[in-house]
Amino acid sequence: MDNEILFVELNINGELKYLHINKKWTLLHVLREVLNMTGTKYGCGTNDCGACRVLINGEAKNSCVIPAKNLEGKEIITIEGLQDNGSLNTIQKSFVDAGAIQCGFCTPGMIISTSALLKKNPRPSENEIREGLKDNLCRCTGYVKIVEAVKLSSVRLEGSIG
Amino acid sequence: MSDRYTDIKNLEKSFRDKGLKYVGKRIFNRESEMKAAGETIYIDDMRIKGMIYGKILFSPHAHAKIIKIDTKKAEALPGVHAVIHYFNSPHVVYNGAARFYMDSSPMDMPRTEYIFDETVKYVGDRVAAVSADTQKIAEQAVKLIEVEYQDLPSSIDFNKAVVNGSPQANPNGKDGSNICGEWLAYGNATEEETKESIESAEFTFKDTFRTPRVHHGYMEPVCHIADYTREGKLTIWSSCQNVFCFRDVIARALELSQSKVRVIKTVSGGAFGGKLEVMHEVVAGLLSMRSRRPVKLLLNRKETFISTRSRHEAILTVSTGLNRDGKILAQHVESRLNTGAYAGAGPNTVGAQSEKMFVLYNGDKMFYRGASFYSNTPPAGAMRGYGSPQIHAARETHMDRIAVALGIDPVELRKLNVVLPYKNNSLGNNMHNALIKECIETGEKEFNWAKRRKNAGENQSGRYRRGVGMDIAVHGNGWFPVYQDLSTVTIKMNNDGTAVLLTGTHDLGTGSRTIFSQIAGEVLDMSPDLIEIIEADTDITPLDLGAQASRTTYIGGNATILAAANLRTQLLKEASAILKLDDSELIIKDRIISSRNDPQISCSYTEIVASAQAGKYGVQRDLTATESFESVNSVDSYVAVFTELEVDINTGKVRVIEVLPVHNSGKVINPLLFEGQVNGGVHMGLGYALSEEMLIDSETGRIKNPSFGKYKMFRADQMPKITIRTVESPEEAGPFGAKSIGECATDGVAGAIVNAVSHALGNVKLDRIPLTEEYLKSVIIAKVAADIVIEENECE
Ligand code: FES
Ligand code: FES
Repeated sequence: MDNEILFVELNINGELKYLHINKKWTLLHVLREVLNMTGTKYGCGTNDCGACRVLINGEAKNSCVIPAKNLEGKEIITIEGLQDNGSLNTIQKSFVDAGAIQCGFCTPGMIISTSALLKKNPRPSENEIREGLKDNLCRCTGYVKIVEAVKLSSVRLEGSIG
Repeated sequence: MSDRYTDIKNLEKSFRDKGLKYVGKRIFNRESEMKAAGETIYIDDMRIKGMIYGKILFSPHAHAKIIKIDTKKAEALPGVHAVIHYFNSPHVVYNGAARFYMDSSPMDMPRTEYIFDETVKYVGDRVAAVSADTQKIAEQAVKLIEVEYQDLPSSIDFNKAVVNGSPQANPNGKDGSNICGEWLAYGNATEEETKESIESAEFTFKDTFRTPRVHHGYMEPVCHIADYTREGKLTIWSSCQNVFCFRDVIARALELSQSKVRVIKTVSGGAFGGKLEVMHEVVAGLLSMRSRRPVKLLLNRKETFISTRSRHEAILTVSTGLNRDGKILAQHVESRLNTGAYAGAGPNTVGAQSEKMFVLYNGDKMFYRGASFYSNTPPAGAMRGYGSPQIHAARETHMDRIAVALGIDPVELRKLNVVLPYKNNSLGNNMHNALIKECIETGEKEFNWAKRRKNAGENQSGRYRRGVGMDIAVHGNGWFPVYQDLSTVTIKMNNDGTAVLLTGTHDLGTGSRTIFSQIAGEVLDMSPDLIEIIEADTDITPLDLGAQASRTTYIGGNATILAAANLRTQLLKEASAILKLDDSELIIKDRIISSRNDPQISCSYTEIVASAQAGKYGVQRDLTATESFESVNSVDSYVAVFTELEVDINTGKVRVIEVLPVHNSGKVINPLLFEGQVNGGVHMGLGYALSEEMLIDSETGRIKNPSFGKYKMFRADQMPKITIRTVESPEEAGPFGAKSIGECATDGVAGAIVNAVSHALGNVKLDRIPLTEEYLKSVIIAKVAADIVIEENECE
């Protein structure tokens, strides 16, 4: 049954959401169309661009191909959940300061990928940064200032820890 | 005009003399904090009360007549509101690329499009559309529409379309052919004289080069929202680049008056020319009129590939005659552009391309001939560069072949032949501050050209071959002198001494709103963040002619200076009355006007606004200024691109190591944003050179790679190092000396890459882009075979 409706409990940005969903709905659909959380973007729907990235248990994943029903008990973080008490967090601020944002459509996905990358590898080399961002497409920036933004984030985060 | 023009130039100079405060500063894009937070509302993020969803049925046929459409089943599906198609829709011909309301020249903008037509002319053409309560229902409903087609003969392959006698892809083709509009042919000599001069020159070269159809690949898919209300007003939101022309076209196609159509640009998720032309807005509008509900029409990524716009595929032949020193005596370019199923911007792109012929090189006889051709493929249209990347790729690779054959350094060959600043070009036009020669010289030094070229040349054995290459390119600034080019800006003072600026220009993520705030801030001595910038809404903002032709900063920036200068004069006049001092005795600093001699004698913008509104020294009035700027100078931006790369001769894979563009864009208003444009332009150029191509099945007309998985844009790990250099001498005619960058950033990349790959492979002839692994492997195999033959011959 394609239209089977399920009841699920999803942990999104630290809040439990109780939802009736169609079992085929992707996480992206649930975020954007059910919860009206539009920070996560639809760029392709085919797992190719990274605009729809979210963190699932700390890993960056493309939400456009993940059925929402499989995510019960997992911790989902979206771009809306990254803020620091209502202010941009260090990575977000670094993207702004580095001039890494042009049209901005890839930005939420890029920032999510950066969060996952820096968590695993707080001081990535340039190659590791590029490797870590290769599933996110950007058509505006040539990735130049995005890579700079990741470096800046890394320095700033290290500073705040050290 | 000229007085006003001199006035603003003097004003600019006075700011420069005292030191610029905001212009020239690295200020981040004013939209970026919202975007970093994920809080910016792009069009697909808009939610309007009562909104329903549209879906288009796209043609599966390359060319067919629609005999019958049965919509009964679709209409019966619960949740469906309206079903529209050829048999129940207005049938008014238009051109979605139109720029002027009264633009009726058949040469420039033939009208060939309808909301729905009786024939479909490409796979992806519109057949019908529905609106329904949910996206899902709309998708189901279009599948229930039954259409009976009668196949028509088609011309899908471009090689076929250009041949006389091939089936007509569009009945508007000239005299039974597929020529769209007319051939454009002109030069500073006759075609015959030019050809004779080429033939009789000491050295004669001729090369034919092919460039692909590519897609803009903006990350935000195409989306429109339409809302038609009981009062008969249609509001269209579109992530677009040209609201006023959209209003004209939409009103025409839907038979509404312009006062009943309002077009509002939404925050752009990338456009690059791909959202310059009216696409499916007319469908969204008609669906809303029929449903009496707001309708959202979102294309998925596949639909965005097959039914939007793309860069014109091209075949160009360049012939040049030179003397022994390498001086160009005569040059001839013949160009054919594939405009796809509809005219769109075809003939106009030919026109824009033709100009590039004359503003880069000089020769005694220069002649351009070009035309666009219909084919049964998705329509081409505007894309960053607009005819320019094609001619540069063809001519610059041709120039390198000449350099090699004559034994002249490619850099020297170009220096010998480029146009010179403030001198006339071959057509007799003044070249203004055209610093292309300085760009070449700067790049030569900064890139260490001679040494790197030599090292690479000496290192051409083994699996990985190094190549070093360069080329040059040019792009304009607005339409003058081909068409009128104007923009109007309004600036209003708020009661607290801050301001609002209204402009019909479109920020495409390029940062033009930030640029205008810097320019207005400089003139008004007001921090840019205190100036709100409202853009592109046909009912609210003054006229602008769209984000195209690299005109936004150049034209809009000049209009901003005029409006801000006007407001500044009003502020000074009121202050002079308040302070009882002549304006020559007044200075402005941070929104305070004071006596030059005694800073204590002063008043703030707030006090000035209050005084004007109270009419203390004249009639009560609001402090606002509206000014139009008309372009009166044709100026060009230049670039020289240098690159080093490595070719794996086993696989044909190219790894680009560095790209160093040297831009002459006049004064850079915001280096941070400028660099963003250059980096993005290089990215787009690299894809054009090496990996991107929309592949179309020549039998069925289907696009074979309509996804980001199969259509290969460069990813972060494939990008080379980009080193940006500038030759920044101000251009008099530009706002604070600025010239354009957006398009110039991509124009010269492909030619430099091809030249470097050719260099890596022992100056092998490359006659197309993209240089895919497959293509390069075939070239390498052919070259190895040829070299063996040569060696054998030498042995004998
Ligand atoms: S939208 Fe999910 S990867 Fe593109
Ligand atoms: S900033 Fe536009 S796609 Fe990345």
